Amino acid sequence: MQESINIFIKSIFIDNMIFAYFLGMCSYLAVSKSVKTAVGLGIAVIFVQVITVPVNYLLNKYMLTPGALTWISPQLADVDLNFLSFIMFIAVIASIVQLVEMIIEKFSPALYNSLGIFLPLIAVNCAILGGSLFMQEWEFENFGQTVAFGLGSGIGWALAIIAIAAIREKIRYSAIPGPLRGLGISFILTGLMAIAFMSFLGIKL
Amino acid sequence: MSKQQKERESLFSPRYRKLIRNPLSIENPITVQVLGICSALAVTTKLKPAFVMALSVTVVVALANVVISLLRNGIPPRIRIIVQLTVVAALVILVDQVLKAFVYDVSKQLSVFVGLIITNCILMGRLEAFAMANKPWPAFLDGIGNGLGYSWILIALGFFRELFGNGTLWGYRIIPQSFYEAGYSNNGLLILPPAALILVGTIIWIQRSRNRSLIEEY
Amino acid sequence: MSNSYIFRYAAIMVILVAVILSSAAMILKPLQDKNIAISKMRGILEACNLQPTAEDAVPMYETYIAREVVIDPRGEEISIYDMKSKQFITGNTRAFDVNLKIQLKRKAAGEDYILPLYMYINQNDTLLVIPVQGRGLWGPIYGNIALKTDRNTIGGARFFHDKETPGLGAEIDQHWFSDQFKGKQIFDENGKFISVRPIKGGVGKLPENQRIHGVDAISGGTITSNGLGNMIEDVMGIYVVYLTK
Repeated sequence: MQESINIFIKSIFIDNMIFAYFLGMCSYLAVSKSVKTAVGLGIAVIFVQVITVPVNYLLNKYMLTPGALTWISPQLADVDLNFLSFIMFIAVIASIVQLVEMIIEKFSPALYNSLGIFLPLIAVNCAILGGSLFMQEWEFENFGQTVAFGLGSGIGWALAIIAIAAIREKIRYSAIPGPLRGLGISFILTGLMAIAFMSFLGIKL
Repeated sequence: MSKQQKERESLFSPRYRKLIRNPLSIENPITVQVLGICSALAVTTKLKPAFVMALSVTVVVALANVVISLLRNGIPPRIRIIVQLTVVAALVILVDQVLKAFVYDVSKQLSVFVGLIITNCILMGRLEAFAMANKPWPAFLDGIGNGLGYSWILIALGFFRELFGNGTLWGYRIIPQSFYEAGYSNNGLLILPPAALILVGTIIWIQRSRNRSLIEEY
Repeated sequence: MSNSYIFRYAAIMVILVAVILSSAAMILKPLQDKNIAISKMRGILEACNLQPTAEDAVPMYETYIAREVVIDPRGEEISIYDMKSKQFITGNTRAFDVNLKIQLKRKAAGEDYILPLYMYINQNDTLLVIPVQGRGLWGPIYGNIALKTDRNTIGGARFFHDKETPGLGAEIDQHWFSDQFKGKQIFDENGKFISVRPIKGGVGKLPENQRIHGVDAISGGTITSNGLGNMIEDVMGIYVVYLTK
């Protein structure tokens, strides 16, 4: 439990998807012009991340790691399907996004109206595939830890996009040099925020 | 365009050359189209991984463009995106396997970022916008052009970050020891993640100062 | 377009991709495995102060690493592989094939585990190479430590990382850092296990009689340095039962 909480906090502040690994930058820059849409996309990412990371963890554990197929038959102990990870993960992500979209549409039209337009965008959001790939690389020990990581990294991403959207709403009234307007200043602002987030490295977990 | 004209169009006609040239500057995928930054920045602390990453992305974009362009008339529109993703994912797996087999040390440094080429927005962006509607040869050139436009930014970042952050290039010491003895020290900030963002911001600034048509309205 | 067309299209696509990918994976697998084995061999040899290249790592390994030993949690040698005769003296597990990471995980989970060791013999130098594995700031760090025949003094060490910060934590793979470990001792004069750890601000900060157990940490690379210290203490700690036998 302790370990899961550590992973949760670490994935929000220290291993932040945007500030430490620059994942999901495309939608981060494209959809951060207003706080309202940023919140919508942020929630959608948390939602999808917390489902896909644990699902891919199970897939990885029972199918992809070398010798993972022994639960079907002991003869399959030598099979190593690791090379299929990328394609399996992206397939899972694409289908889960589709599924989530259909479920939300059916049961909560109000939520669908606010989140729906963002969901298709998420399938190709690097932060989502990145989450699953980091899960595989960091070799979490149990299911609980992957849920903690999925939730944490989603929240970290949402935090980043909401923060930059708030800044971009205000900065509209500032006199920024022409060539720096828009994209340029957003990059530099993100850089400065990343420096601020680096101070979390000092947390002892 | 009549059939005759088409036949006369050489492999490197002005129209085709533009496909390569534009992505390097006014249609640069990173600084103008804002595509594909995800997998780019984390690997630019050093020149060598940045170069290998740039090469991998260029190969994947060009090949994916050709494959999708060849398939463009047969792809059922309803499963278009899945087909594109499958082609891209398969190509990325091939690249990853080749890297692991031939440049093992670099592939370790690139770690998960090779896999992230799959969700690199340049790929899906180019496949949707160009390859689905064009013949294989222009699609190939478009892929190479966008790959190179992406590459030069990556390599420039890797160059500056490694040279000023670590005093080396491609792992070889460039800034001589005597400099350090005279009080020079590496700029540690440059190798930290935030520096990559600030450097890209600066590149955009320089580019837009020189080409004012790219300036955003807000 | 009809549904059956879509189905046929998807099915053919899946089969084609599967065939291409699995054949590529099968063709390239031996090369990949060889790379992994070579980098492991180089790590072991470099801890013994040799400079193998990718080409001569295998012959060098087979010349100088005389024996591979596998021990159990009580420090008993359960398997010894003799390199010259290419035969097992006892047991049937080669230390080279033991995955330290998996074994450390098994230990943490309270399961039975085994540990690898390598015996380096070269004219008048005999070293016992102990592999170590831990976590730095951004990812795994690993390496090998070679002990002299007194099983206390370090004769050589080498560390590696996958993605520590260049210029800071990444310095652990530089020779200036690992060479500091030579001549350091892991036990104190009473035979108590102390380990060797990087000291922030330099070894000079330690009292005189403690300096044999410390090396200079990397300035600016505190978390990686601490991770390295913990790695040596944790993993060497498990070998103590064998070393004090």
